[in-house]
Amino acid sequence: MFRKYLWQRLLLAVIGLAIGSTVQIDEARAEYGDIVINNYSDAAGMRPAIFPHWFHRVRFRCKVCHADLGFKFKAGGNEINMVKIIDGQYCGACHNGELAWSVENCNLCHSAKPGTSTQVHESTVQKLAPATLQKK
Amino acid sequence: MSIQRIVIASLAGFSLVSGAWAADAGKDLYTKTCGVCHAVGIAGAPKYGNAGDWQPRMAGGVAKLYASALKGTAKGMPPKGGNLDAPDADVRAAVDYMLAAVKTAPAVAKPASAAAKPATASVPAAPAATTAASAEPPAAQPARPVDVSSNTSGASAADINSFNRLLKPVGKRNPPPVEDGIHDPANDGTLALMAPLAAYGPLPKSLAGNRINWVKAIEEHKINPRWDRNDPNATPVVIDLNIVREVKGSMPDVVYPHKQHTEWLDCSNCHPGIFVPQKGANAISMAAILLGEKCGVCHGKVAFPVSECRLCHSKKKDVRPVQAATAAAK
Repeated sequence: MFRKYLWQRLLLAVIGLAIGSTVQIDEARAEYGDIVINNYSDAAGMRPAIFPHWFHRVRFRCKVCHADLGFKFKAGGNEINMVKIIDGQYCGACHNGELAWSVENCNLCHSAKPGTSTQVHESTVQKLAPATLQKK
Repeated sequence: MSIQRIVIASLAGFSLVSGAWAADAGKDLYTKTCGVCHAVGIAGAPKYGNAGDWQPRMAGGVAKLYASALKGTAKGMPPKGGNLDAPDADVRAAVDYMLAAVKTAPAVAKPASAAAKPATASVPAAPAATTAASAEPPAAQPARPVDVSSNTSGASAADINSFNRLLKPVGKRNPPPVEDGIHDPANDGTLALMAPLAAYGPLPKSLAGNRINWVKAIEEHKINPRWDRNDPNATPVVIDLNIVREVKGSMPDVVYPHKQHTEWLDCSNCHPGIFVPQKGANAISMAAILLGEKCGVCHGKVAFPVSECRLCHSKKKDVRPVQAATAAAK
């Protein structure tokens, strides 16, 4: 008797999992090109940082960051930390209180849900090979 | 006594004046921000002056509508309509402005609201909400001829046989930061961030990615992103050179335009790291692109995604020789 119900419960659990996974598809709905960088944030007790490409490309061409400032085309591949930013490298080249608001506004960048992994949101790579990205 | 009277009178006068002022502020904000969606009912937004759209929402009370307007909703309403600089009072005034239009709505809508009101008038908010929700179809039918709007926007998750089941519903495209699933709504900084739709208004649209045609946006001078971070007058060196890549199979050949790319990028961004600047030296496949290599370093992440096949595969193959050969054989 109990075993019979157990089987049904297992079936329910599987269905529940399936529904849960489809819900996750719906959950990923950040803006195309939003980058979450979580190299050190979680470990340091900060929210991961989010870089919105759309906002920046209205104001700057790709070249400014990706050639002049040396940002590699790789989410999380630039090993940016706050010391570099304060010294005027990477984000700090503009976010210095003159060209753009400065580093004291921690929560404007460090605004992701804790535990969000480094990735390019809405990208084909995120959809096709999410497992490989989770490791990073 | 007399002082009290003066105070009361002046307060009353002030409230009248400020009331008029608030109405103006509400109308201003509506025309500036809210109307973008609410004028025609984009993305499932209740349409201005359409009682059928507003009736079920009003059942929860005005306070709830204020809260939705200020904080946004899961259905797609961005906080303050995406205009986060708007003062709270103006947002409330804008809600009042839209509600006023429904209360003085044309005759078509009246029977519905008249029928709904006596039934719920004596009962306070909570039961009103339930009766409005359950009795909504018969009561609101005259004013709301199509329920299709909620289907196409994907709002009803209950309909298992809905169209485009796995596609992102219209109302969930370009979500504001608080609702995008990656920003922490509990973070106060999140609320200060701009919502994409607030920026996209004047920009030319496309069907994928950010749903903005960024190349066209520059061509049409809708945006003028800086080429140098400090010098607003620096301009790119645009190279007008098309590279044609013949591809296997039936797909049209790829035309790679340097022009559009050099508007945004420096030569060193792609050469020689990603593409060896020599004809025939670069093996490119769709598989590599999908996994983020070659063109896929940008396309499928930031630049338009690979779903837009024809933007690259744009040169029709010359099939005439084959047709001529078959014609000759006949």
